[in-house]
Amino acid sequence: MFALPEKESRAPSTCPGPASTQDLDSNCGDGLERECSRKPDQKLPELYGVGDPTAGFSSNSSHLSSRGGIIKWFWDSAEAGYRTYHMDEYDEDKNPSGIINLGTSENKLCFDLLSKRLSQSDMLRVEPALLQYPDWRGHLFLREEVARFLSFYCKSPAPLHAENVVVLNGCASVFSALATVLCEVGEAFLIPAPYYGAITQHVCLYGNVRLVSVYLDSEVTGPDTRPFQLTVEKLEMALQGANSQGIKVKGLILINPQNPLGDIYSPAELQEFLEFAKRHELHVMVDEVYMLSVFEESVGYRSVLSLERLPDPQRTHVMWATSKDFGMSGLRFGTLYTENRDVATAVASLCRYHGLSGLVQHQMAQLLRDRDWINQVYLPENHARLKAAHTYVEGELRALGIPFLSRGAGFFIWADLRKYLPEGSFEEERRLWRRFLDHKVLVSFGKAFECKEPGWFRLVFSDKAHRLCLGMQRVRQVLEGKSPVAEDPPACQTQEPRDRHR
Amino acid sequence: MDETRDGEGEVFPNISADSSSAGPVPVPFSSVNWSGSSQPVEAKTKAQGMSHQSDVLPCDQLRDQVIGNQSSHTQLMETLLHLRQTVDDCITQLMTRPPQLDLPLEEQRHNQATGEQEAFLRRVVNLLQSGAMWGLGLQAPHPTLGPRDDAGGGQQAQLSRQLDQLVYQLSHLEVAFVSRDLSNHGTDISAFERSKFQDFKTYQGDKYHEDKNTMGFINLGVSENKLCTDLMTERLSRSDMNHLEDALLQYSDQRGQPFLREEVARFLTYYCKSPARLDPENVVVLSGCCSVFSALATVLCDPGEALLTPTPFFGGLVVGSYLYSKVELMPVHLDSEITDGSARPFQLTVDKLEQALLEATLKGKKVRGLLLINPQNPLGDVYSRDSLEEYLEFAKRYNLHVIIDEMYMLSVFDDSVTFHSVLSMESLPDPNRTHVIWGTSKDFGISGFRFGALYTHNKEVVSAVSCFGFLSGISGITQYKLCRLLQDREWIDKVYLPTNHSRLKAAHRYITNKLKALKIPFLSRGSGLYVWMNLKEYLQPCTFEEELLLHHRFLGNKLILSPGKTYMCKEPGWFRLVFSDKPLPLKLAMHRFYEVLAEQKRDLRVKQLEDPQKE
Repeated sequence: MFALPEKESRAPSTCPGPASTQDLDSNCGDGLERECSRKPDQKLPELYGVGDPTAGFSSNSSHLSSRGGIIKWFWDSAEAGYRTYHMDEYDEDKNPSGIINLGTSENKLCFDLLSKRLSQSDMLRVEPALLQYPDWRGHLFLREEVARFLSFYCKSPAPLHAENVVVLNGCASVFSALATVLCEVGEAFLIPAPYYGAITQHVCLYGNVRLVSVYLDSEVTGPDTRPFQLTVEKLEMALQGANSQGIKVKGLILINPQNPLGDIYSPAELQEFLEFAKRHELHVMVDEVYMLSVFEESVGYRSVLSLERLPDPQRTHVMWATSKDFGMSGLRFGTLYTENRDVATAVASLCRYHGLSGLVQHQMAQLLRDRDWINQVYLPENHARLKAAHTYVEGELRALGIPFLSRGAGFFIWADLRKYLPEGSFEEERRLWRRFLDHKVLVSFGKAFECKEPGWFRLVFSDKAHRLCLGMQRVRQVLEGKSPVAEDPPACQTQEPRDRHR
Repeated sequence: MDETRDGEGEVFPNISADSSSAGPVPVPFSSVNWSGSSQPVEAKTKAQGMSHQSDVLPCDQLRDQVIGNQSSHTQLMETLLHLRQTVDDCITQLMTRPPQLDLPLEEQRHNQATGEQEAFLRRVVNLLQSGAMWGLGLQAPHPTLGPRDDAGGGQQAQLSRQLDQLVYQLSHLEVAFVSRDLSNHGTDISAFERSKFQDFKTYQGDKYHEDKNTMGFINLGVSENKLCTDLMTERLSRSDMNHLEDALLQYSDQRGQPFLREEVARFLTYYCKSPARLDPENVVVLSGCCSVFSALATVLCDPGEALLTPTPFFGGLVVGSYLYSKVELMPVHLDSEITDGSARPFQLTVDKLEQALLEATLKGKKVRGLLLINPQNPLGDVYSRDSLEEYLEFAKRYNLHVIIDEMYMLSVFDDSVTFHSVLSMESLPDPNRTHVIWGTSKDFGISGFRFGALYTHNKEVVSAVSCFGFLSGISGITQYKLCRLLQDREWIDKVYLPTNHSRLKAAHRYITNKLKALKIPFLSRGSGLYVWMNLKEYLQPCTFEEELLLHHRFLGNKLILSPGKTYMCKEPGWFRLVFSDKPLPLKLAMHRFYEVLAEQKRDLRVKQLEDPQKE
């Protein structure tokens, strides 16, 4: 449930309010309530959008605090589609007519390999030290292993240090902790959109930090450019726009390889973005959670840690996890790498809320240490399987005449279904998504990623062949059977307050 | 207790009088020490003689210097306290400004500037209050380092060194604690980490080990049960623990895996003696009780709102309320003295709750709930069923939530003590506002597992807290192991609990006998992993500063205990000692404990003798 797009659908809406958010009282969050009462502006700017996670919220609870009420509303509005999914999950034997999940970004292709590796005897050690309070940053043996691992796979020019590593239970926690220690309530991070929408909630829950979307266009504007390309100009415009609204921007979030575009930033681009951030004294949080899921070797992925020289090392924070690259989202292992000791210390202090069992820490250290298995067994096999699944879905989409983006990284394809939306509205987009769900296939719609053009969908292909084929078959049925989508939505729409004003 | 109050009150009256005057000020620590005797002269001569050999200073000059050092140390302490009070006042002033909503731009800017000042001041206050400078600097040098017969002279030299360090630290205050990269909140968090957990870090680097590091720190400060690691290790190593299936490696229900929530509900039904079966839908599991508390505080209180909590109480939850959720705690101070309304020391009464609530309300604090720990930490106390009922009724009267932390419910090792879980009550006065926290850290001695559970009838709270499953989720593999563990009633009832209790009992007996031999008063009612003892006899004067110095003296002797200040205890001199360690380290720890107290006693005697000279 963690990565589910409905959750993402409560992602920021584009309603830049008046410059009311300059919180003079830095210590507490009546910002939230203030935001709630803000009216969406009519003029939607094209270049950026200030996220407002609580737009549309209206509820009062006798038992919860006002922020508690908002948090509960997060939960309720998140549930809609996924409650449906969880009540009717596909199972080959028990529920063959259940819903196929092409919405959650999980790699289900290599469970056999992982299960075998995690069951080997070296994984099963239990010793007293692992059962007691650890160093909050994570056990030293694991931090050392993470430093070695990242040095190797990120191809860092110099060895990375265990002192700069903090271990948490997943990247969601890293986002939450960073937002809290870097920003005051109501301050913001820039993020190129479309983006993995759950981040909105990660930075908001505890930190009460907002996201300012840097809108990217699907249209190609000139030679040497590609769809949804991020440029420094766009970053500058968005930053200026946010500033002009009185919103203090503290940092920039980059996801590389990108989710949902499957795109990769070249070292030159990365350098430019980092220089931009340095000029404006912004922190850069680089989420590299898909770094080993680049299955097309020609793509030439480069980690930010591989750069010869970081423009502003004290403000560059890298995160990685095993959720995607090792297909273990349920294991809850994530890590922060930062040279900034203050940030590392402050984040470590928050680790008491984001801790990881000592036994699992041991297992992770064993796993990351096993280069032979990773290089000779796991990665080649994983990449081959990802490639095969990817090729299949690509083929299906081509057959349907559907344009899509995918550059050989990640678990998903970003598909352009705009031709199925005659009016090109988000309302239609949502209705099409609903139709997919009614036909027992769950996908993610673009709005959940804060995409500003209606009609884009993310399809996850990293699932076993039989489920994938069935899922794609259902997608095809929906698209071929009843296009275009025009008629009324089904009844359960009321559960999704997020899309009311769209 | 009277002495305690004297000691406490004394520091403050001196502040205004002395902070302005310069030069050596003959204001010694306490008038109690002035009781005349003939020995001071002798001691003085001795101190001078010792220093004379090394420093070759004229007698008068030396004397001035020695006394000057000591009194300017006192003075600096007082200046600090004075500064703290001034800053506090400033902030109170700033905070009590009436809210100004529609101000012209000019004025808003002014306010922003004040806001920044305020933020800085707040940081300074935090720093002072946290005792960060003690943690950082005054740790290394200890009187124990000097030759035995030189205690007096050594201490003077000590003080001058400490003074230098203090000045150094103050001048580096901003550099050290205000980072340009962190937000104000981030800076608070960072400073907090550095101060409060300095001891823990020192310990991590130099832990005692039976074979490898017998000279290392023995930690009787952190409440961990290390007595049954053999049983746990054996149980966790059995093959049933190592099951793996794809669901465990994938995203799960944010509230926790259904199988684990079901098991937790069954487990609590049984061990809390719940009259009706508990419902798995009311369970949320997160990575540790800290996470549960923090999430709960966040959804029940807005920033700046408060929870009432009887003190002394476990300081770790302060972390929980402060770091992320910015919820405040309103102490309900309990007295060690037995009065009309109470039958035992530190007894919580509804009167005290009422009074604290009233005081908070007068201060303009919005109180949203009451936080109880049962069995209590650090008192080791267990609330009777009647008291519990009274507290819950009190909360209901004022529409307060009650958060009950029952982390030690299975660590009641004295058979004559009966623990009543709040979940065992026939009917809760206000079920929608009663929230129970339990975890395996203490009762199963596996704090490294990071598991905490919430049980509440309130569906809204369940939903809101579940949102934090994103940020405080537990690994599927761990959830499976926990489920197996909680399921194994046979092992828990026949093997684990009896062994654990008998070992706790033995360790407890050993420690309490030692304390009795030393004539140290303590509280302990047969539950928890610690005793709460009173060392005020060893503090002269009885102040929190002296308490901290004694704490550092223990540290200097590689022994970690927790001073009462950490528990917001209002009387200086109390310490919590955790006894749930193996016999060998426990024995060594008590040896170190004894050594420190003997030294402390010696120094007190010397100090007593010296003080009259300054007249």
